[in-house]
This record gives sequence, structure tokens and C-alpha cells, in this order.
Amino acid sequence: MGLSLFQSIHWAASFLVETAVLAVALRRSVFKQLPIFVAYLALLVTSESARWIAYEFTGISSRISFDTYWTTQAILILCRAAVVYEICRSLLSPYTGIWKLCRPLLITLGLVLAGSAAATARQRVHPISATTLIAERGLEFTVVSILIFGLIFCRYYGVQVERYLAWIALGLGFYSAVQVANNTFLGDWLTQANFLIWQILHEVSFNIATIFWIVALWKPLPARQPAPVLLARGEYDRLAPQMTLRLRELNTRLLEMWK
Amino acid sequence: MTVFAVTLAALGILVALFWLLFGSPATETPVSLDARDVEEFLPANCRHFPQIRQMLETEDYQFMRRRAPRHIEREWRRERRRILGQYLKDLGQDFGRLERLARLIATLSPEIRRAQEWEWMWQGVQFRLLYRMVAVKIALGSFSTDDIARLTEPIAALAGELESRMALIAECAPSRLHADVGS
Repeated sequence: MGLSLFQSIHWAASFLVETAVLAVALRRSVFKQLPIFVAYLALLVTSESARWIAYEFTGISSRISFDTYWTTQAILILCRAAVVYEICRSLLSPYTGIWKLCRPLLITLGLVLAGSAAATARQRVHPISATTLIAERGLEFTVVSILIFGLIFCRYYGVQVERYLAWIALGLGFYSAVQVANNTFLGDWLTQANFLIWQILHEVSFNIATIFWIVALWKPLPARQPAPVLLARGEYDRLAPQMTLRLRELNTRLLEMWK
Repeated sequence: MTVFAVTLAALGILVALFWLLFGSPATETPVSLDARDVEEFLPANCRHFPQIRQMLETEDYQFMRRRAPRHIEREWRRERRRILGQYLKDLGQDFGRLERLARLIATLSPEIRRAQEWEWMWQGVQFRLLYRMVAVKIALGSFSTDDIARLTEPIAALAGELESRMALIAECAPSRLHADVGS
């Protein structure tokens, strides 16, 4: 059995919107600034086509459809993680020192969370669908965590997030956050009726994310900012100890006042 | 229960995400720094301390205790607390400016040290905690003006040292570059 009429209409509408986002991204030359994001959009359209072919020719409940769905889903999640990393790099890499500090932390966080997601999924004795849900939840959590961690760095150091990047990031983060809750819900109460709710939430949240990306790319991208001229190498080493000393002294005095 | 907790966490994540992406940016963004606004980063309030100190002299306190009627003395003490509270607030602003300056230096430095950055972050956390506790203490009782004076010395000393460095930093600020590109 293939897709129902409603599912076919929804699939066609989603496919059209995703293709439109890809077309706008290409027209706006987003690949010059965010090549992985454009690759992700292209992969999205390809995955949708592959899924549709699998559903139509082998039936929605077939093993081939199941494998096609989860394989493409795994690739898309990994790609989303790469897009999030790309956004963080785009924001922070002009500030060499901060990026050198942030990059290993982002990579470590990603590896630790993805590793723990894999470990949790392996431990579960649930059927394969529940295990994949748990793995997906872990990976989505990894994606949103990397994003939030990178954005905390931006906020802490006062790095401004450009409007289009903010909407793209919101789309990615929104979808991942909803999936974390959605998969927990279905993982705990795996029934046919709940599966339908999960599916609706899954698709609607992705449609919303796609709308965010359209908003992001609606206007032409701003011109690329020139790289900031950084201070001389020794400046940080000269100023840092003085600053530290004063801040520390100030805290000591405040502590004395408190005692 | 797990579903409820995770849903709440997801909502929290979404709110945090929205705030981080669209929340009004702090004024310390290097992009908004301009050579004309350099003073914004230098501690300013601690320089007015001598006047405040004069207002809070210990002799005045002894005089008021001996001579003034009780209700006047009470009113006077309340006013002193208000001034101290205000001064602590200003001190907090000065600390904030120093902190912003430290971050700006880090932002524009090609090499920064992780330990140093963590230390500055920790100092900020510590200061904010202490600041709240001292604010409560001021609200509850009185304070020695010497203590407040000692608080201001490090900031005032650093301000002078940094003034000369700031010109160089402002030259390198991204906003300056944007302005140059735009013109």
C-alpha cells in the first residue's frame, strides 16, 4: 500500500516548498557563504524523492521503505549537525582567538553527545523502531546543543548574528527541539494512535522550519563583512594579567565587605 | 513524567534559542564600538568617589547620633543607605565595563588563553553573587565608607592604564572597518 490521498498531497506540498527553498538559496548564492546548508537542502529534496519512490513501489510498511526512511533521516541529521557547525564557524571564525577557543569545545560536545546517544540506543531492548527513535532523539539533542553552545559564545563575546543566519539557525533549532520532545513522547507510549500524532508533529514542525528558511532567504543576503583587523599578538598577554588582577582584587574587596 | 520534563526542557530550549538569536544585543558588541564611544568602556563612576566619601564621613555619623533628633537621624541613615546602594550600583556598572573591555580584547586578539577566559568568566559570576549579597547587607544595615573606598581603587587604577590602549583597540574595531568600507 502506497501513500493515501492526504499523505500524497502533503508530501507534494512539502516537496514543492523544499524545492522552492533550494531554488531561492541557489538564486541568492547562499552556497558562497553556507555551502553545507545548500548541500543539505539539495539532499533534502533528493531524500524526499527517494522516500516517495520507496513508498510508491514497495508500500509504506515495507522493510525497504523503513530502511530508506531511517537511512536518509540519519544522513539528514548528520548534515544538520554539519550545518549548525557551519553557522557557528561563519559567526565566530572572523574572530580567530575566540574561534580557536570555541571550535574544540563544539567538536567535543558534539562527539560526547552523539556517543552517549548511540550508547543509550544500544542499551535499549525495545523493538528497532523505538531504538531508532531514541537514537534520533539523541542526535537531534546534539544538534540543538551545539547550536545553543555556539550562540552562547556569540552572546558572551558580543558577536552579532545576522538576520538570515538567525532565521536559518532558528529553523534548525526549532525542528530539533520539537523532535527531542516528540520522540520521547512516542518512545514512552508507542501505539498506532500515538504514531499518527508523532508523524503529524514531525511533519508540521519540519514545515515550520522550512518557512523559517524561506523568511531567512526572502531578502538578498547582506554583503560579506571584511575580516576584523586583530590586535597585535602580544597585546592580549600584556593586558590580560592586569585585567585579571584588578577583577580579582575587586572581588576580594567585595568579599571582605560581605564578611 | 519523563515526557512532561522533556517537553518543558524543549520549550526552555526554544525560548533560549529565540533569546540568543533575536534578543536585543548587548551594547558591548564589537561591531557597535566606535572610536568616539571609547569612553563607554572605561570605568567612570569610581572617579566620583571622593565626593561620596565626603558625604559619608564617620564624624558626621557621630555628630548626628549625639545631636540630631531621632526621626531626623533615622531619615539621615536611610539617605546614607540609599547613597551607598546607588554607589554599589555604579560600581557594578564599572565592573561591567571592565568585563566588556576584557571581552573586547579577547574578541580582537588572534590568540587567547582558555584558562584566562574561564578566569574572567568566573570573576564575573563571583562579582555578581557578591554584589547581590552586599546589596542585601546595605539594605539591612550600615557600612564603613573605607570599605567602599577600597572597592573602587582597583577599578580607578586600571582605568588609567587602559585609556592609552583603548585608542588602538578602537582603531581595530569591526564597526570602524564597516564605516570605512561603506564610505
